[in-house]
Amino acid sequence: MLNIEKNKDNDALVVSLEGRLDTTTAPKFEDELKNSLDGITALTIDIKKLEYISSAGLRVFLSAQKRMNAQGEMKVTHVSEAIMDIFEVTGFSDILTIE
Amino acid sequence: MRFFLGIKLGGLQQKIFNLMLIFIIALIGVYVTVSVALQNDLSKIVQNTSEKQQESIAAVSERTMKTAVTASMTKTTALQAYIADDLFSDVRTDVLTLRSFANELFVHADAFTAHAYYPPDKANDGVPSVQMQHEAGVDPSESEALGLVANMSEIMLSMFENSRQLSSCFVATPDGCILFADDRAGAYIAEDGSVYDFEVRSRPWYKQAAEAGELIFTGVESDAFTDIAGIVCAAPVYKDGQLAAVVGADIFLSAISDYVKTTANYGGFVCVINENGQVLFSPNTEGTFKPELSAVAPDLRKSENAALGQFITESLNGATDVQTITVDGAEYYLTGSPMPTVGWAVVSAIDKSVTDQPTAQMLKSYGDINKNALTSYQNGAKRATRIVIIATVLILLLAITGALFVASRIVRPIEYMTKRINALSGNDSVFEMEKIYKTNDEIEVLAESFAALSGKTREYIGQITEITAEKERIGTELALATRIQADMLPNIYPAFPERTEFDVYASMDPAKEVGGDFYDFFLIDDDHLCMIMADVSGKGVPAALFMMASKIILSNNAMTGKSPAEILTDTNAAICSNNREQMFVTVWLGILEISTGKLTAANAGHEYPVIMQAGGKFGLLKDKHGFVIGGMEGVKYKEYEVQLQPGSKLFLYTDGVPEATNAENEFFGTERMLDALNESVNAPPEEMLRNMRRAVDDFVKEAEQFDDLTMLGLEYKGGAQ
Repeated sequence: MLNIEKNKDNDALVVSLEGRLDTTTAPKFEDELKNSLDGITALTIDIKKLEYISSAGLRVFLSAQKRMNAQGEMKVTHVSEAIMDIFEVTGFSDILTIE
Repeated sequence: MRFFLGIKLGGLQQKIFNLMLIFIIALIGVYVTVSVALQNDLSKIVQNTSEKQQESIAAVSERTMKTAVTASMTKTTALQAYIADDLFSDVRTDVLTLRSFANELFVHADAFTAHAYYPPDKANDGVPSVQMQHEAGVDPSESEALGLVANMSEIMLSMFENSRQLSSCFVATPDGCILFADDRAGAYIAEDGSVYDFEVRSRPWYKQAAEAGELIFTGVESDAFTDIAGIVCAAPVYKDGQLAAVVGADIFLSAISDYVKTTANYGGFVCVINENGQVLFSPNTEGTFKPELSAVAPDLRKSENAALGQFITESLNGATDVQTITVDGAEYYLTGSPMPTVGWAVVSAIDKSVTDQPTAQMLKSYGDINKNALTSYQNGAKRATRIVIIATVLILLLAITGALFVASRIVRPIEYMTKRINALSGNDSVFEMEKIYKTNDEIEVLAESFAALSGKTREYIGQITEITAEKERIGTELALATRIQADMLPNIYPAFPERTEFDVYASMDPAKEVGGDFYDFFLIDDDHLCMIMADVSGKGVPAALFMMASKIILSNNAMTGKSPAEILTDTNAAICSNNREQMFVTVWLGILEISTGKLTAANAGHEYPVIMQAGGKFGLLKDKHGFVIGGMEGVKYKEYEVQLQPGSKLFLYTDGVPEATNAENEFFGTERMLDALNESVNAPPEEMLRNMRRAVDDFVKEAEQFDDLTMLGLEYKGGAQ
């Protein structure tokens, strides 16, 4: 299960994730992002309440990062230790802006 | 559900039926009430009108009748009185003439000789003649005056002959003799031929005339010889103040009597009352107006009937108006008119019931007509009521039938629809619009909706069937893909039976279907064993395809003898060149130099490998990581070296192992993974993987496995021995 909460302030968007981002829920997150990123120059993904991220979830993060590279900047906030481990293992910690 | 008359009790049909029935009964109730009320009103009006008309007719008729009777009676009575009185007036004149003649005789007695006179002679009966009679014991020959008055014989005879009213004329002498002029000599002679005595001075007329000293009329007296009722008019004649004679005339009142008798017609009659209030003449033979001889006749003026007494008194004094007086229990119109000569009165009487008879008759006829009309009206009304009742029953029956018909007509399509819908169980059944639903109302709309819904449902069922079939096909293909995928991975063990330097074992259990994990191991050359553990992002066919491509690219690169870092770098470049879907794969790739035990490896975002050096314990090798393959172009990977001693072991895995989740949503984790490995450090690779599998299963228990479980175990036994 994944809850996605979006807060838009002009061209800044904060997306908060809660739950599990895995093969089942990743497509939903991908769709949400795809439809929300037009004109956004500052994307913040808050994963404070994200319990788990699978490779399918990482793929969405990668897509988002690539798109934001073209139109602005993206950062990931409130990264838990467990997820930081995954980011590090997969090398995502190198390409994501983690705060 | 219970049924009555084919109607579902409590159903729509019954409700409609009830509604219609209530409406109709109310309508009939109003109709009947109004009809009955109108009929009653009409009956009353007819009856009232009839009564009023009858009263009115009675009043008008009686008034008219009375007016007519009054006018007629008053006039007639007056006329009758006048005529009757005229008779007596004539007689009076006659008697006065006789008296005057007698006076002359006595005054000039010397000038007259004695005239002959004769006793009654039977031969003269029926012939006018003069005859002498006398009282018993009187000798006519000794009478002084008889011869003198006999000189009046011719004049008396003439008078008698000339007057129809007179039954006789006479002259009597105070010595008891009398001369009659009449035509009934026979009546004075007895059967033995002797002449009846005649008590002259005892006769009422003689006494009354002598007493009064002037002309008198007697009451009605029986004639001395004929017993016929009559009246005598008499007048005394004096000589030197002495009564010398009494002259008179005898009137048979048969004329009046006969006339009076003829009046007894049509409930009316005329009667004559004398000055004493006694009835002289009347056609009546009984009752108050019965005529009787003066001696016994009652004085009606003093009648117990005060109104009658008053009326008789008034009538004798002057003409009266018509009065309504009850006599002998019957109502009479009475009117009286006096006869001045004799001081009597003529009274006319008409039985009111008779005059009222036309009115009564008319009223009766009218009443009969009205009654008939009323009866026929009432009969008509009764018939109308009967017709109303029959019509009501018919209407009710018709209405019930109609209501049943309408109700069933309304309900039948619904029932049919219900039946059809209930029958829609199989896939083939479809609810279709039918003629019975074409009611032009909500039912038609409902049926159309059902038909549309049914059509759509059928369509959906078709689609679902198609999709299911498609899914089935895809599932079959996926299963096939899974088999192909599994077959692509080395899965024949022992993998290298001729190689004693190492033992390698790997397994892959896809979570649901074809997955994105893969492992690979192959000999690049005799001294170099390449091992790959990889995890493609995502699942399913895309992941499987991507995995295939990755596996082939990786092994192709490896087979060219490149170092692990070069292999990953080149593979990344190859994949990124055509990866629009942003798929990536984490790869750990290591090349073991079999002869020396030197392991050169590079990690593209994959899990830490687990290594157990000979005699030690399994532990994570926190190696240097590069970014995932396919994630970004131009990534340079770095490799590292690990020296394996004989007896060292390597355990590679994908995230399915540490991220296996139990029902409490806990991860299996690397700690438990290491614990499981360290539990039996001596286990060869195959057993090592089996143990791990069991440990994971024990942990996960009933919870569903989310991810693939892919593992590879290597035991390095040492260089060529």
